[in-house]
Amino acid sequence: MANFKTDAVIVGVGGAGGIIAAELSKAGMKVLGLERGPRLQTRDFEPHDELRYFQRQDLRPNSKTQPVTWRADANKRAAPMRTLNYGAQAGGGTVHYGALSWRMHENDFRARSATLERYGASAIPADSSLTDWPFSYADLEPHYDRAEYELGVSGQAGNVQGRKNPAGNIFESPRHREYPLPALDADQAGLIFNEAARKAGYHPFSSPRAILSQPYNGRSGCTYCGFCQAFGCHIGAKSSVLITKLPEADKSGNFTLLTGAMVYHVNTDNSGRATGVSFYGPDGSDNTVEAEVVILAPFIYDNTRLLLLSKSAKFPDGLANSSGHVGKHFMAHIGARIQMAFDDRHVNIFMGPSAQKHSIDDFNSDNFDHGGVGFIRGAQISVAPVALEGGPIGESTMNPPPGVPSWGAGWRDFFAKYYTRHAAIVAQTEDLPYPYQTIDLDPDIRDSWGLPAPRVTYDSRRPNEQKRMEFLAKKLEEIGHASGAYLVWRSRENGGAPGAHHMGGTRMGTNPKESVVNKYSQSWDVPNLFIVGSSTFPTMGCGFNPTLTIQAVAYMSAEAIVNRYRKHPGPLIDA
Amino acid sequence: MSSQNESRRSFLKTAVAGAGAVATGAVVPAAETRAAEPMQMSMPADEKHGAFFNADDAATVAAFAERIFPGAPGMPGARDADVLNYIDLALAGAYSDMQEFYRHGLNQLDAHCRTTYRQPFARLDPKQQDEVVSALEKGSVDEFRWPTARAFFTTLRTHTIEGMFADPVYGGNKDFAGWKLIGFPGAQPFFNKNEIQSRDVFTRAPMTGLQAQAAMPKKRG
Repeated sequence: MANFKTDAVIVGVGGAGGIIAAELSKAGMKVLGLERGPRLQTRDFEPHDELRYFQRQDLRPNSKTQPVTWRADANKRAAPMRTLNYGAQAGGGTVHYGALSWRMHENDFRARSATLERYGASAIPADSSLTDWPFSYADLEPHYDRAEYELGVSGQAGNVQGRKNPAGNIFESPRHREYPLPALDADQAGLIFNEAARKAGYHPFSSPRAILSQPYNGRSGCTYCGFCQAFGCHIGAKSSVLITKLPEADKSGNFTLLTGAMVYHVNTDNSGRATGVSFYGPDGSDNTVEAEVVILAPFIYDNTRLLLLSKSAKFPDGLANSSGHVGKHFMAHIGARIQMAFDDRHVNIFMGPSAQKHSIDDFNSDNFDHGGVGFIRGAQISVAPVALEGGPIGESTMNPPPGVPSWGAGWRDFFAKYYTRHAAIVAQTEDLPYPYQTIDLDPDIRDSWGLPAPRVTYDSRRPNEQKRMEFLAKKLEEIGHASGAYLVWRSRENGGAPGAHHMGGTRMGTNPKESVVNKYSQSWDVPNLFIVGSSTFPTMGCGFNPTLTIQAVAYMSAEAIVNRYRKHPGPLIDA
Repeated sequence: MSSQNESRRSFLKTAVAGAGAVATGAVVPAAETRAAEPMQMSMPADEKHGAFFNADDAATVAAFAERIFPGAPGMPGARDADVLNYIDLALAGAYSDMQEFYRHGLNQLDAHCRTTYRQPFARLDPKQQDEVVSALEKGSVDEFRWPTARAFFTTLRTHTIEGMFADPVYGGNKDFAGWKLIGFPGAQPFFNKNEIQSRDVFTRAPMTGLQAQAAMPKKRG
């Protein structure tokens, strides 16, 4: 049993928590970071090993000892699921992510208002909690810019202060300057996609990624080895928080990181103020931290879990839950996918940065007219390996084309011929929020600390989402056929499972009765408690990967804590 | 052999009794499926086993993996890649929590084959073996309770693929047999711009396994 005292304690030093740790400690606050996993180094990420990192998920929480459970049907028991974005180490998911670094569109921050204006109230499903964000794109733009430049993002701007450039994404909202680094080189899959998408009349470009296309800030440029999604980068070209922001925090002299520290309770006093947290150490010890400010920044499930585990007489429904919205509005990106097989060329999908390589934005957000299509909101469409990393174990998970068996000589012959001659096109579709898609505590399954597992109750097969998936699958087929592939076929349905980029559970808003935190990720109920990460996202925004937005929002919170909260502790926005 | 089978059977009974006490909800039939008489099966001399499987189970798993990924002239299969060795080592290590899954699954498979063909799986001809694998894939095999036929099939398929395509350091993919067959060059530390944009097969040597990588240059040439 040990006791710690600090200005700020941060639970989880990942994509969001690592940024806040650096900003607060640089501003002179004493910061204690609690991380349940280890702190690894770049030399730990060599050699690359598909079995260890992709298949056995070595950089993600083990689904047996740290399970997250899922069920499609609220009347059934949940079972542990494989998670894609969850991290298990300092730096969190930014260590093993594909490093897609998108800004969302102006429209995305006001999805409800924009939908009402363009299509009327009847376009929004009656059971959806679609809403606007409590701030605008313009409010977030300086923080996006900071994240891109401090971390290192490569891309081609499509809109600098209103000047459009068709080499970039012409649908992007105005940025005030170019990316800090030029776009990554196209690989064969990217070239195929560019040509096919242009032929079909769309606007392809190199996806912006937090992967260095050139040396930057003393770090090496990308070697195009192909081991990004699921892997740590062997030369530190991926701009993970582990190698960008944590060293800044270290240098401040005000940052202490404890690894192997599993926080299980947020402590409060009789006045309703957070006093700190309790955590189990790697030796099984039970420890406490006293802090002036408590910042929760684990992956989204653990934000909801910690709040529910921290209920007390004063907070009978869980901490920070006077609204009753903790655990609600869970969302996920749902993928539609096609595979393409080529007879006239090799694609060598195992080469090049491995997640979504080149993309189009034509069917994302509200970038196209949804009149008459029967659904709202859209998807990012990109070319990628089937498994978002191109090794043979990942690619073996693709469903074979119609008529080809899944085992035996027929499958062997298919895979032997087309492993180097295939690519996939994926549509990453925006789920609308629904209040009854939830996270709570699993009554049956516990983790290795004896805590109830977070349980997701969710079914992707809502009418709006189903219609959008079918619409997008046809677009993918159209691009696939324009590529010259000899065969184009669809992936299997996913049984309602939550796909990628889980969000929600502690949504932000302008009304304390309808949200858990304000625009600075500050709890309405407990002003010295901040809850950060994509658990606060009131909508998914669009089909874009959320990490850069998570990071920009973290910068915004950190700035508010340093410049305003520290001088006048209390609510940053009056309820 | 028979005394081994005896001790194995009593172990399984104990395990079954234990399984009933945990709240898995799975009712596991007594694993009385293994014939008591010793089986006379010829093991190919190059099949390594022993980290986990006994000789009978090794023969079954090797035969099953070969149906999932069969060899052919000029095309290495699961036996050539030593998939059995991969699975055997995995069950003794990283997948040790799946030992009971395999024990029960193999016993159920044995019961099914003896009921239907009066022979263990490894002694069926390839056509019969394919009938069995196909029935498992469809889930239409009465003898399977836990694991289900479908779960057993899916797991063996996945583990066979891992044994074909994981780095040789894990005991399969012998001499890079799986990687050579499909054209995967292993974990290369870099590709240059011509290589990533090429429409041709990638042939630059060497194919790199884990143990060779430490000596490789790290940066793009």
